[in-house]
Amino acid sequence: MATYQEFIQQNEDRDGIRFSWNVWPSSRLEATRMVVPLGAIFTPLKERPDLPPIQYDPVLCTRPTCRAILNPFCQIDYRAKMWTCNFCYQRNPFPPQYSAISEQHQPAEIIPQFSTLEYTITRATCHPPIFLLVVDTCFPEDEDLQGLKESLQMSLSLLPPNALIGLITYGKMVQVHELGSEGVSKSYVFRGTKELNAKQIQEMLGIGKNAQSNPQQQQRGGAQGQQQQQFQLPSNRFLQPVHKCDMSLTDLLGELQRDPWPVAQGKRPLRSVGAALSIAVGLLECTFPNTGARIMLFMGGPCTQGPGMVVDDELKHPIRSHHDIEKDSCKYMKKAMKHYEALGNRAANNGHVIDIYSCALDQTGLHEMKFCPKYTGGHMVMGDSFNTSLFKQTFQRVFSRDQKGEFKMGFGATLEIKTSRELKVSGAIGPCVSLGVKGPSVSDTEIGLGGTCQWKMCGLYPNSSLAICFEVVNQHNAPIPQGGRGYIQFITQYQHSSGERRVRVTTVARSWADASANIHHVSAGFDQEAAAVQMARIAVYRAETDDGPDVLRWLDRMLIRLCQKFGDYHKDDPTSFRYSENFSLYPQFMFHLRRSQFLQVFNNSPDETSYYRHMLNVEDLTQSLIMIQPILYAYSFHGPPEPVLLDSSSMQADRILLMDTFFHILIYHGETIAQWKAQGYQDLPEYENLKQLLQAPLDDAQEILQTRFPMPRYIVTEAGASQARFLLSKVNPSQTHNNMYGFGGQDGSVPVLTDDVSLQVFMEHLKKLAVSSSS
Amino acid sequence: NAAPSRYPPPPGANTVPGFPPAPTPATSQPMAQPGAMQPPSQYGGAPPGSYGSQPYGQPHQGMYANNVNAMTQNFGQMGVQDSQRAVNLLNERQLMPPDGVETAKPILPHDFKKVNCSPDIFRCTLNAIPQTSALLSKARLPLGILIHPFRDLSQLPVIQSSVIVRCRSCRTYINPFVVFVDQRRWKCNLCFRVNDLPDEFSFDPVSKTYGDPQRRPEVKSATIEFIAPSEYMLRPPQPAVYLFLLDVSFNAVETGYLSQFCQILLDELDKLPGDARTTVGFVCYDRALYYFNLAEGLSQPQMLCVPDLEEPFLPCPDNLLVNLHESKELITELLNQLPTIFEGNLETGSALGAALLSAHKMMSSTGGRVTVMQTCLPTVGPGALQNRDSGNTSGKNVTNIGPATDFYKKLSLDCSAQQIAVDLFMLNGQYADIATLSCISKYSAGCIYHFPSFHTVKNPSQVDKFENDLRRYLTRKIGFESVMRIRCTRGLSIHTFHGNFFVRSTDLLSLPNINPDAGFGMQMSIEDNLNESPTVSFQAALLYTSSKGERRIRVHTLCVPVTNQIGEVFATADQQAVAALLAKMAVDRSLNSAISDARDAMINAPVDTLSAYAQQVPASQRVGALLAPHSLRLLPMYMLAMLKSIAFSLSSSTKTDDRVFAMQQCKVQPLCYLMQSLYPHLYPLHRISSETPLKRGKEEIPATPQLQLSSANIDRTGLFLMDTGDAMYLLVGSGVGDQMCQDVFEKPNFMSIPDGMIDLPELENPTSEMIRCFVNFLIDSRPNGITFLVIRDDSKHRHLFFQHMLEDRTENSMSYYEFLQFLQGKAKG
Ligand SMILES: [Zn+2]
Ligand SMILES: [Zn+2]
Repeated sequence: MATYQEFIQQNEDRDGIRFSWNVWPSSRLEATRMVVPLGAIFTPLKERPDLPPIQYDPVLCTRPTCRAILNPFCQIDYRAKMWTCNFCYQRNPFPPQYSAISEQHQPAEIIPQFSTLEYTITRATCHPPIFLLVVDTCFPEDEDLQGLKESLQMSLSLLPPNALIGLITYGKMVQVHELGSEGVSKSYVFRGTKELNAKQIQEMLGIGKNAQSNPQQQQRGGAQGQQQQQFQLPSNRFLQPVHKCDMSLTDLLGELQRDPWPVAQGKRPLRSVGAALSIAVGLLECTFPNTGARIMLFMGGPCTQGPGMVVDDELKHPIRSHHDIEKDSCKYMKKAMKHYEALGNRAANNGHVIDIYSCALDQTGLHEMKFCPKYTGGHMVMGDSFNTSLFKQTFQRVFSRDQKGEFKMGFGATLEIKTSRELKVSGAIGPCVSLGVKGPSVSDTEIGLGGTCQWKMCGLYPNSSLAICFEVVNQHNAPIPQGGRGYIQFITQYQHSSGERRVRVTTVARSWADASANIHHVSAGFDQEAAAVQMARIAVYRAETDDGPDVLRWLDRMLIRLCQKFGDYHKDDPTSFRYSENFSLYPQFMFHLRRSQFLQVFNNSPDETSYYRHMLNVEDLTQSLIMIQPILYAYSFHGPPEPVLLDSSSMQADRILLMDTFFHILIYHGETIAQWKAQGYQDLPEYENLKQLLQAPLDDAQEILQTRFPMPRYIVTEAGASQARFLLSKVNPSQTHNNMYGFGGQDGSVPVLTDDVSLQVFMEHLKKLAVSSSS
Repeated sequence: NAAPSRYPPPPGANTVPGFPPAPTPATSQPMAQPGAMQPPSQYGGAPPGSYGSQPYGQPHQGMYANNVNAMTQNFGQMGVQDSQRAVNLLNERQLMPPDGVETAKPILPHDFKKVNCSPDIFRCTLNAIPQTSALLSKARLPLGILIHPFRDLSQLPVIQSSVIVRCRSCRTYINPFVVFVDQRRWKCNLCFRVNDLPDEFSFDPVSKTYGDPQRRPEVKSATIEFIAPSEYMLRPPQPAVYLFLLDVSFNAVETGYLSQFCQILLDELDKLPGDARTTVGFVCYDRALYYFNLAEGLSQPQMLCVPDLEEPFLPCPDNLLVNLHESKELITELLNQLPTIFEGNLETGSALGAALLSAHKMMSSTGGRVTVMQTCLPTVGPGALQNRDSGNTSGKNVTNIGPATDFYKKLSLDCSAQQIAVDLFMLNGQYADIATLSCISKYSAGCIYHFPSFHTVKNPSQVDKFENDLRRYLTRKIGFESVMRIRCTRGLSIHTFHGNFFVRSTDLLSLPNINPDAGFGMQMSIEDNLNESPTVSFQAALLYTSSKGERRIRVHTLCVPVTNQIGEVFATADQQAVAALLAKMAVDRSLNSAISDARDAMINAPVDTLSAYAQQVPASQRVGALLAPHSLRLLPMYMLAMLKSIAFSLSSSTKTDDRVFAMQQCKVQPLCYLMQSLYPHLYPLHRISSETPLKRGKEEIPATPQLQLSSANIDRTGLFLMDTGDAMYLLVGSGVGDQMCQDVFEKPNFMSIPDGMIDLPELENPTSEMIRCFVNFLIDSRPNGITFLVIRDDSKHRHLFFQHMLEDRTENSMSYYEFLQFLQGKAKG
C-alpha cells in the first residue's frame, strides 16, 4: 500500500478533500479523545478538467429521508438491476434508462475513480450571470478614480456578452444609472443617509412586476426537453446585457466625475457606502432573486454617513482601532456591523454575491463590512489605491477563465452533506451561510455553522474551501465490524458561469478503527496539515464570534492535550518526548498560528485583521498553510534554491531569501549580496552568475504574482532596509537580543529584536507541559 | 468735456445723465398700448407755484381725453354738464359712449394736470379726495388707489445720477408736485417738511451753471426711473435666474403641452431677458423629480431622477442651474429631447409640492423666477392634495375657494424671503385645486395663468393663446429682488393691499419678481383732516434689479385735489376704479366670509352710494327715479356684471377652479383688463367703417362703435365680436348676407361657414381687410394671448357668446332693468 502521504494526496486530487483523521475512531467516546476533531477541508469546485461531462440527472436513493446519490460505493445487483444505498441500505431499482447496465457496461457514477462527478441538469433554464458595479466617486485625487474607471471599462470586455450589467455610483448621494438610454443619460438619485427596503426601491425605480423574473417558476414550468434553454434574463433599464450597452457604459464610466459635493477643510467626504450597498442588494432582490449575480463594491474610503457609517466626517475623529474595540468605545461599529450583516444575509438569501474592493491608505470599514463577502462568498480585496497594478491585476483575475474558457466562478451553490449513520455533521466554517435544514445527519454539537446539513455558497470558486467538522455518534457498545467503512457524500448544486445548473457529487469513504485497541491505526491517519488548517479556522471562528483572548489559551490546551495523547514520553521527563513523523510539523504550525496576524491583532488595524481572516476562511488547504506558516526559500552560490526554516538564522549575508506569506511576496538580499548588487557586479560579464542568482528569485516571485488572487504585495528589500521588517516579523526569533552572545551574531545571521518566545523556547515549554503528570 | 466724473457715462442709450434734453425710449416695450401713456412731450414748461389760486371743481373741457382704448375722438362734443348732471338710470338706457367708457382724471391746475401720472398706471377711486373721513363716509364710496407699476412704457425717463433727492423725513422722492420754497429748498408734498436741495441737483454739468431745479426730469415727470447707487443694494444684483418646473405625468404628456412648451422656449431662448449671466434650469416631475445636470462640457444632458420625496433634496450641488450661454447646446439638446423622454409616461402621480421645495433649495442663494407647468392635482409627496371638489357647487354655499392646506402659502413665504417668485401655468382639465395651489404665487408675487382643459388636439383654440401667452411671458420685461413702497400725503393711510405680494411692513410690499402685467390695489382711510394742502399725492416707488443686473427705482407720483364738497366727490368719482376696487374687496369678503356676503355687498354698494347721492339732489328730481351721478352711471351695471361673473355668480355650472382663478384675476389684473373681463366689449363688425377711424401713430384703424351687452343690440344679419380680454367670440348671425360670408369667411353662405373656426382667412377685399385690421389692432393692444372662436348663431357654443349679455335676463339672474328696479326698492328701504 502506498504511504498515507500518497493516499492523502490522491484523495485530495480526486475529491478535493483532506481529512484531519483518515482513519476514523469507531466510537463517540474515543473520537472525543482525539483532541483535534474529525473534520475535513473540502474544496467543492476543485478544478477537475478531466471529469467527463454528464448530461443527465443523478439517480437518487428512493428513501425519502435519504435521497443520497448513486455512487461507486453502492452495491450493485446487475441481474436485478438494483442498487443498495451505502448510506441507508435501501435497495433501489435503477431507472429504465439504466436497463443496459452490466458489469461490463457501467455508468460513470459507479466507477470507483469517479467518486467525484459533475452532472449538468439539462432541464434547468440557463441564466447568464449578472454583475452590478457599485462605484465610489469620493476620491481626493483624480488618479484613483481614473484608475478605477479604466479597470471597469476594461472589465466590460472580459464579461460574457449576454451577462447583465448594472451601475450604481455613490458619494454623498447614491445614483442608480439607467443603461442604454440615448441622448440624455439618466440616473436615479437616492439620499445616502436613508435606508430603503427592496419594495421601496422597486417602487421608486419603477421596476414593475412585469420586469421581475422568477427563474424558479420558469424552471419548474419549463419544457422537459433535453437541451438546456439558453435563456436571456428579462432585462430592465438598470440591468442590461453587456453586448447591448457596453459602448454607452464605457462612455458613462468615462464621464464619471468625482463626487461634486464640496468637502470642507478638516472633513472627510460624505460617502454613502452603506446606502449604496443596500440599494444594490435591494435592486437585485426585487429583480433577480435566486439568480446568479454579483455586486462588486468599489470603495476608496470609509462610509461616513447614513446606514452603515463607520466613522463620522470629522477628520479629527480617527477610525476605530483594535484598542478602541477592546475599550468598547466605537460609536458606530456595532450599528454598522448590524447593517452590513443584515445586507449579507439578504444577499445570501437571494443567492447574490457581494465583493468588496477597498483601496485606500487608511481603513475603510472592512471590519464592519466583512459579513457581506463572508456570507455570500464574495471577494475581499484590500489595496492602497485603485491606480496600482496590485488592484488592476487582481481585478482582472476576478474574470479569469479555465482551460475551457469558462469563468472560474460559480453562483448560488448549495452544499448538502449526507453521512453514514455512525457520523453526523457538526458544522461548516467558510464562505457560506446555513440553510437551516435539519436532517438525520445533523449533529447536536455545533462547530462553526451547525444545526444544518445544507449550506449556501452564493459565490464559489475552484479554491473556495470549507472546514467541515463531524461527530462520531456510534456508541462504544455497538462495535463496527472489522473493515467497516464510513461514508460522506457532498452534493454541491450550483449555477455554472455558463448559466448551466450543475450538481457535483463527491462521495468519500474511510475506514473505522477501534481507537481503544488500535490507537496507532488512527494516529497513522492523522493529516497534520489538514488538522492545522482546520484548527486555524476554528480558532479564527472562535476569535470572531466570542472569546477573543481565550482562543490562544484554548489552542495551547489543545496542543498540549494532543501531545499528551499521541506523544511518546516518560512522565515528567521532557527530554524523553517524541512523536511520530506525521505529527512533527503540527506544533510548529500552531506556534506560527499563535503569533500570526489571524490571532495577534494589535499590530494590525481591524480592517487588516478582517481581511486576513477572510482569506484564511476561504482559501484551500495549501494556500491556508502558507498563510499560517509562510514559506521561505534561500538562493545562494552554495547550491540550488532550497526551502529553509522560517527562522532568523536563515537570514544570512550571502543569501537571497524569497518569502511567500500569501499576502506578501518578499525578496530579501543578505548584506553581502546587497553590497555586491550596489557595486554593480552583476553587470560585469565575469559575474554573470551573480546576475543569474539575483534573477532567479525574481522569476520565482513573478510566477506566484501571476497566478495568485488577490495579487500579493510585492517587496524587494535588503538587509537593514526598513521594508525588511516584513520578513523580520515572520521569522522565528531564534536569535534575539535575549539570547545573543555577541553583537551581530556569530554566524553572520541577523538578530531579531523581539520579546516573542522563539520556537525553541515554545517547544521546550510544550514538552514540559505534555509530560507533566500534573496537567 | 468738463463733465465731472461723478456723472458716469450712461450704461445704455436710455439713460439720461444730469439734465436730460429729452426722454428716451424705454428698453423693451413689445405690447404697450399706443397712446395709452400720456405723451411725454408734456414735460416741463409751466411756471411753478401758481396752482393755489385756481379754484377746483370747475369742469374742464376734454377732461375725458385719453381713455383706455384711446378712442379719443369726439369727446369735445360731450356736454360740459354731463359730469355734473344726475342720470336717471331707469330712463337712460344708453350709457356707454360709442367709443368706450371715458377715463376719469383728477381735475388739477394745468401745470399739474399735464405732468400727472398716467391713469393707465395710477388711478384713485375718487378724483377729488374728501377733506375729512366724515365727508368720505357721507359719500358711501370706497377710497383706494389702483396701480400698474411695471407697465410696459413706450417712453420712460431714466436717470443715472449720484444724487437721488428724497425728503429727509419721509423719504419721498422729489416729484413734480413738491413746492419749491426757493431755488435751494423744496417742501415735501407728502409730509410737508422743507428740505434743502443738494447743489448737484440744480447744477448743469453741460453749462456748468446752477439752473432752475424744475428743469430736472424728476420734477417734470410723474413717472421716472433711477439707476440706483450701491446703497440701494443689500447684495450685488443677482443674475436673471429662470427655473422651469414641468409636469410630465401621464396627464401632462397626454395634453401635448410639453412639446409645445419646449418648442416655444427653444424659439425664445435668446430673448429671455438677461445678460451674460442669465441662468436657467429645469426640473420635471411626476411621482418623482427629474433634475438635469447641464454642466458645460458634458457630452449630453444628465437626467437625475429623485424618486424619494420624503424630504426632498438636491441630487447634486451645482449645475442644475446653468449659465444659459455656456450650456446653450445642452439646453437646446434637452429641450429637443424632453418630449421624447417622457413620451408614453404612465405615471399619474404629481409631486408638485416636492418640486417646489426643491426649486426653493435650488434658487435660495440667488432668487429668481420659477415657472410651473401643472396639469393636474398634486397627489403625492409633500403638499399632496385630496380632490375635495364634489363637482356640485350649486346653491348659496360655494365651498373650496380657500386653500386646503397652508403648505403652499408657507413655502411661498419662504420663497419670498429668498427673492424667489413662483409663476403657475395651470393646464388642468380636471379639478386641480387652484385655490390651494395659487397660494404659491400669491405670496411670492408670482402670476397665474389658467388654460382650462388645455389639449393641443382636443382644444385647439387654446393652443394659440397658450403660445402667445407663453411667448409674452418668456420675453416680457422682468424685475428681480424688488420691493414697492406706497407713500401718501399725511392724513391718509393705507389699510388693505390687493395683489400678489408679501406685505413686509405697513407700506412696503415684497415682490421677488415684478412683471409688466401685474396690478395692485390699495384701500385707504382718512385719518386726519386733509387741510394742509389743496392736493394730496400718492407715490409708488418700485425698487428692482433689472434683468441686466442693474438696480433701478421706478417712481410714480399721482396728485389728486382735496375737496370739502360732497358734490365734487360724486362728480369726480372714477366708476371703473370704484368697481375694480369693489371687485377686489369682494374677493376678500368671499374668502373671509362667504360669496353670498360679497354679493350682498355688491348690491349694497350702489344702493348706498346712489342713496347718498340722491340726498344731494332736489327731492323733485328724485321721484320715481333712480339717480346716479354721471360719473357713476355705470356702477350698477358693473355690479350686475360682477354678480353674474364666474367669480361671484352662484351658478351651479361654474367649476371651482374657474371661479377661483377668476377671483385671483380680480386681485391682480390691471384695471382696464379687469374691467374688460367683467364687462366685455361688444362690436358690430358688420358696421365697420373707416369714416371714424382710430389712430395709432400715423396709421388709421377702421373702427366700429362699442355696444352695450344686451341681446337687443344683436340682430341676425350682423357679425358681432365679443372681446372679453382673454377670448374673442365672433358671432355670425343666421341672416348674414352671402356677400358678407364670402368677403369675410370665403364661404358662399351662412350654412357653409364651419363652426369653431379659430382664425379669419386673409382675403383681399375691403370688408375682410377692415375687419382683420380692427381685430388685429384689438389683439395687438393687449399683452396676453386670446382664444378666438367663430360661433355660428345656431352653434352649440352659442352660450360662449351670449353668456356675456349681462343686461339680459336669464333663468337665474335679473336683467339690468330688473336689477335697477331691485336697487330702487332697496334704496327706498
Ligand atoms: Zn439511501
Ligand atoms: Zn416728506
